[in-house]
Amino acid sequence: MVSFLRIERLISRTAERVNWVAAGAVAFIMLLTTLDVVLRAFFNHPIPGTYEIVSLTSAMVIAFSLPYTTVKRGHIAVEFLVQRLPRRARVAVNIVNALLGLTLFALLAWQSTLYAVGLRRSGEVSATLQMPTYPFVCGVALGCCLLCVVLLAEAFSQLKGAEPE
Amino acid sequence: MSATTIGIIGIVALFTLIFSRMPVGFLMALIGLVGFGCIVSFDAALNLLAKDFFSIFGSYNLTVIPLFVLMGQLAFHSGISARLFDAAYKWIGHLPGGLAIATIGACAGFAAICGSTNATAATMAAATLPEMKRYNYKPELATGVVAAGGSLGILIPPSVIFIVYGILTEQSIGELFMAGLLPGVVLTTLFVVSILIWTTLRPELGPRGPSSSLREKLASLSGIAETLVIFILVMGGLFGGIFTPTEAGAVGACATLAVALIRRNLSWQDFVAALFETTRISCMILVIVAGATVFGHFLAVSRIPYDIAGWISGVNLAPGLIMCLIILVYFIGGCFIDSLALIMLTIPIFYPVVLQFGYDPIWFGVIIVLVTQIGVITPPVGVNVYVVSGVARDVPLGLIFKGVIPMLIAMLITTLLLVPFPQIALFLPGLLR
Repeated sequence: MVSFLRIERLISRTAERVNWVAAGAVAFIMLLTTLDVVLRAFFNHPIPGTYEIVSLTSAMVIAFSLPYTTVKRGHIAVEFLVQRLPRRARVAVNIVNALLGLTLFALLAWQSTLYAVGLRRSGEVSATLQMPTYPFVCGVALGCCLLCVVLLAEAFSQLKGAEPE
Repeated sequence: MSATTIGIIGIVALFTLIFSRMPVGFLMALIGLVGFGCIVSFDAALNLLAKDFFSIFGSYNLTVIPLFVLMGQLAFHSGISARLFDAAYKWIGHLPGGLAIATIGACAGFAAICGSTNATAATMAAATLPEMKRYNYKPELATGVVAAGGSLGILIPPSVIFIVYGILTEQSIGELFMAGLLPGVVLTTLFVVSILIWTTLRPELGPRGPSSSLREKLASLSGIAETLVIFILVMGGLFGGIFTPTEAGAVGACATLAVALIRRNLSWQDFVAALFETTRISCMILVIVAGATVFGHFLAVSRIPYDIAGWISGVNLAPGLIMCLIILVYFIGGCFIDSLALIMLTIPIFYPVVLQFGYDPIWFGVIIVLVTQIGVITPPVGVNVYVVSGVARDVPLGLIFKGVIPMLIAMLITTLLLVPFPQIALFLPGLLR
């Protein structure tokens, strides 16, 4: 029991650390885009490849905030019906939901990895900077893997009788 | 089983299972995956899943969402909301109900740099409720006004829902922003009228505040000036064609950050908190968009949207009646389902119908934003009411819902005005075309 709590805390701390990557990526996108606009407007000298850097970085924003958002129960869900169920039923619903989410993101992690392998093999690069795109798809796969760990821990904590909200 | 049957099973499953508390984005992706697999093949469905998620997460156009969310978060953490309220209240706080009117004014001002209804309600609740309590405003007036004022956050540009609607329906985000502006002004005015009528009937709800000297009034204007500068910079650049919506978001966030730094109102912790909140909200929105994309691809191969459009043109119903039915669906749905999720769920089904009857897609965007915003403050799932009650923990939920009623009337009138007078929404974007 104690060791499980420790694992849970480790997972939520990891999710928070990983979210720093997402937070940094947002700040980077903001600064790069503004710099591009300013240089273009006043010096007629845009930063080449801004479009693709911003697109690929934004994928990292979402991929690396997936675990943290889920730990913080940040996803939109319709709560009012389940809240009215008896406790045991609520626990059951929560476990089923966590396992279904786990299935979805496990499939997504697996398919994203295959997608990345395919992109690498075909030598896919971005239009302007000739930057390979597969590492970013790997990033999405990694974010999905971490999310799976979060959802698995969630299912376990419900099973162990954590108070369902 | 025919593709249409599978499509109908998918839609029914979605609208039933949505009440299971499964995150809406996860659910849409799962049903889309299974449905697409049944109609085409599971290999193709799995392939589609990975490609849809990566293309949505890495979409340049959708980057506009984190950026405008960040702008609102920075504005929140740097006290802009409090300064807006302070200015409004120095000018009109001495009138009966003046603080409530000042709150609406500050909501409208904050809405000009924040694109989210919940964020506007949360921010303004924190800034204005303690003040109204100090001047003995009754809690139903104070909380009702803040909860309803949040809806201005989504009507007055920037607006996250307009962005998502624009991307989903391939309409111009700039035109949608313009279209929300006048209805936002109309709604603000009607909110003020509601407060005036209510406090005239029951003066004890909102007693007069202290009056301020002219010097104090003028000094408070600097709090409005910064917001105005940011708004004009962002919207001017966007409407003037100088930059794209994504660039507008980035410039707006940078400008808000600059204001905060110049005023020394933003600590490192605040900045990190703003970034973390931004990633959380953006992730929440984009997971729904990605799920809706997978679900949308499933619907497209099921041919349901075409079937519905064909069926509707077959039955002899007046277009006005069908529009009323669609609005009714949003009205009822909005009481149970988050507005963004509801729009995502229904656009693939209703949008072709709306186009078929020749309604303007921009006008329709404004209408559904208004109608779903009514849902945000009505029971049982009035998100903004919960947000406000999270700040005002001593006020019972029932009292807040009661306080919202006069504001609801104002929102209903605005919606009803837009039906015979679509120009209210379409006049400004018409100037752009």
